[in-house]
Amino acid sequence: MLAPTLFILFITGFVPFLYVLVVSFFDWNTFAQNPEPQFAGVNNFRRLVFDEAFLKSVGLTLKFTFFVLVSQLVIGFALAKLMMRNFPLKGLFRTVHTLPLMIAPIAVGATWRLMTVPGLGPIPHFMGKWFDISYVLSRFPDQAFATVVIMDIWHWTPLVTLTLLAGLSNVPEEPLEQARIDGAREWRIFWDITLPFLKPVLLTTIFIRLMDALRTVDEVWMLTGGGPGAATRFIGLYIWKIVFPKTDYGYGSAMSVLTLYMTIVLCWLLYVAMTGMKENKK
Amino acid sequence: MSDRREGFLPIKTNTFDRVFISVVLFIAIGLLWMRFLEQALPLWGAAVLSALVGQWIIRKG
Repeated sequence: MLAPTLFILFITGFVPFLYVLVVSFFDWNTFAQNPEPQFAGVNNFRRLVFDEAFLKSVGLTLKFTFFVLVSQLVIGFALAKLMMRNFPLKGLFRTVHTLPLMIAPIAVGATWRLMTVPGLGPIPHFMGKWFDISYVLSRFPDQAFATVVIMDIWHWTPLVTLTLLAGLSNVPEEPLEQARIDGAREWRIFWDITLPFLKPVLLTTIFIRLMDALRTVDEVWMLTGGGPGAATRFIGLYIWKIVFPKTDYGYGSAMSVLTLYMTIVLCWLLYVAMTGMKENKK
Repeated sequence: MSDRREGFLPIKTNTFDRVFISVVLFIAIGLLWMRFLEQALPLWGAAVLSALVGQWIIRKG
């Protein structure tokens, strides 16, 4: 019964990966003197470890991932706790709060671009009027990076909220009540009861967001184009620039393979850390 | 594959886990060797080192 599904997954998932892996060992640039693929061994990877621009992109992507992941988890958890309570217009709040999730990333990028254009967008206007800050994305790298982080938080926090809300709804009431009757403090209840129940949901949410953040391209490409300079040129954008405008398929494939490797290793390390080494040893 | 055991690694692992860790280290050693050591020592050194580390992890990890 599973055979057709496995076959389709193999064709759509594993074969493209194998193709990229094979191409990463070839020198293949359609604009080069010889546009045919030529076997290059590990030359693309050798080039990669000395490519300062790529290494900077990796550092920038990790920094971006850290900021968005931590912020989204904190804000998402706070909103999920809020939505566990009853308050007026809760249904409306939940709908409005989920709206960013329904917007395509490229449209999110376009919207934020319009909001941040000097002389037209409200953000530069109010930043100047209220805080006396000159807000020009194309001039200040820190502002560009911060805006990209805030945009991603705005876009993806609802997903974290919804998954954590589902997790919180499944936490049984009895142990919580018992702990409260025994006089346990709220943070102790959270740490010892809520968090263990939330762990599977939390792990899944972190994995999804981690993988998404590491391959962010479209909304950043629309908002800043990777600039100013290389201030928001994350790995995905750098790979795009190498593969499409420069048509350096071999080198781009090597970057993609290394990005996949990094994603797998990070997810695995996180999994080991969160499931607990001591627990694992038992 | 599912027989988990305790070795020198800080987690309980089965054969697949140990092969996975060996492959991860194989790639990491190769990349670091290319970056820092290849001017002095050929890349074969990384392959030999990775094979030794991999064997050690699969047997004792």
